[in-house]
Amino acid sequence: MPNVRKRGAGYKLQQIARNPFLYGMAVPGLLFFLIFSYFPIYGILIAFKNYDFSKGITGSDWVGFRNFNYFFTSDDFWTILRNTLLLNVLFIVFTTLAAVLIALMFNEIRNKYFKRISQSLIFLPYFMSWIVIGMLVQSFLGGESPPVNAWIQHLGFAPVNWMFESALWPWILTIIRVWQGAGYLSIIFLAAITGISEDLYEAARIDGASKLQIMLRITLPLLVPTISIMTLLSVGRIFNGDFAMIYAIIGDNSLLYPATDVIDTFVFRSMRQLHDFGMSSAVGLFQSVMGLIFVIIANAVTRKMSKESALF
Amino acid sequence: MKQTLSDRLFSIFAYVVLILFTLFCILPFLLMVIGSFTEESELIVNGYTLFPKAFSIAAYKALLHSDALYNGYGITLIITVVGTVAALCISAMLAYSLANKRNVLQTPFLLFCYLPMLFSGGIIPFYIVVSQWLHLQNTIWALILPLLCQPFLVFLLVSFFRTVPEELEEAARIDGANEMRVFFQIILPISKPILASVGLFYALNYWNDWYMGLMFIDNEKLFPLQLILRRMVSNMEAAKNLIPASAAISTVAPTYGVRMATTVLTIGPIILLYPMLQKYFVKGLTVGAVKG
Repeated sequence: MPNVRKRGAGYKLQQIARNPFLYGMAVPGLLFFLIFSYFPIYGILIAFKNYDFSKGITGSDWVGFRNFNYFFTSDDFWTILRNTLLLNVLFIVFTTLAAVLIALMFNEIRNKYFKRISQSLIFLPYFMSWIVIGMLVQSFLGGESPPVNAWIQHLGFAPVNWMFESALWPWILTIIRVWQGAGYLSIIFLAAITGISEDLYEAARIDGASKLQIMLRITLPLLVPTISIMTLLSVGRIFNGDFAMIYAIIGDNSLLYPATDVIDTFVFRSMRQLHDFGMSSAVGLFQSVMGLIFVIIANAVTRKMSKESALF
Repeated sequence: MKQTLSDRLFSIFAYVVLILFTLFCILPFLLMVIGSFTEESELIVNGYTLFPKAFSIAAYKALLHSDALYNGYGITLIITVVGTVAALCISAMLAYSLANKRNVLQTPFLLFCYLPMLFSGGIIPFYIVVSQWLHLQNTIWALILPLLCQPFLVFLLVSFFRTVPEELEEAARIDGANEMRVFFQIILPISKPILASVGLFYALNYWNDWYMGLMFIDNEKLFPLQLILRRMVSNMEAAKNLIPASAAISTVAPTYGVRMATTVLTIGPIILLYPMLQKYFVKGLTVGAVKG
């Protein structure tokens, strides 16, 4: 390729005209983003309007920040904000801890068959839909006499009415989250461990280090960057993404809302049951903006630690 | 190398931890499968056991008569097959264009696809676009179209296409192949592994989706499997309704059993294909994690 001038609209148009297929290929995908991602961004206007179906988005009346005021001054606001943050922190901390432990233990094991089978099995929950998981939870903890209670009573404890005890649910949800996600995360950590130079291990072995010392002094410290990056990525998503899980498991059991209602489920409910489109989209906008801020901060921190791993 | 006692204890500890966690991960599935084959009366009295005394296939027999379940399977199969093929085509074409150095619009295109990962309008505007503007509610398209392009999977493809040596394309072009031939005859065949893993992720997305159904489908004829299952979670009676009255087999309607059996049938295809597909999933996940 001769080094021609690559700037200017004229040059670009010429290039586009010369390779119609190359640009045409992108069209369906770009259209998809335009329709399903950018049109809804325009719809954010609803948050500032008294939305009326018959008038549409542009036709509805402006109400300024009234929709936001409703939400910020309601008691629900603090509850769902606290739940959203608390649940996510629990999920991130415990899933990461479990995944790191599992990855480190896998690294100690030499039996190939055991390794392969065990990895396949702990990975399996990740491929289940939250509905299936919700069904499992329901069949263990739900109903008149939950099967789990039979086991608890065998061990000599009093039965628990799971569907009434909202205080237990942050922990139950955390256990479910670890069950579903720790196996998957451990595979990523294990991939990072595999990348650690064999020389370091050999040197340590020659110096007479025990397996435990090698793990604590070499593997774990070298895994820390990967752990931090995966954690930062989840922190960036702290404001969204749990609707599928929590709605599938909790559903419309309002007894559990005090501890399990998060921004997503709140928005969904006010849309479906209260038909309050204005306030719901105000909450949605609040969530998106907070999410964006968190992603930017998380990314900036990630960038400081390792340029390679930053998103942008 | 000689192992000291502490090393050996440590290895044992590692095995114990992994065995316990593996059991923790698969016990719920085992109990569910066994539960689906257990007599209803025993389920009610004893709950789940690994070794039930009364074996029964009543739940599956009952489900054989359920039109709703056949329907759900049909819908789920259609959206999975059509959706995956379409999603893979669109994503691969988009990613190829995005990854191509000769694309003078590369930066604006990339930005255009990146932004939605960072900022979204939220579900209310999304709902209005799909239902009021596109009028997709209660059509099968509401289950297919909104999931066609996942930015994350597109970028997985982009990072793969970037590793394809330029010489390969150039050589083909010198031989007189046009853009279309380069893409179909050179690029796609060497991208099979990444296409397989991305395709699997799309397929799994479609198979497991219920959110689109929940928002946009009221017509029971269009309920995918997951939505039928969801109904049973929120409502015990729904399990009974799934079975037509004419098909009543025993005096005790196998409500628990039917729920278990439906779940088993819903996840069956994933579990059966899983051993074969797992390596692709792992490949895709680790590639994606290295460069999210």
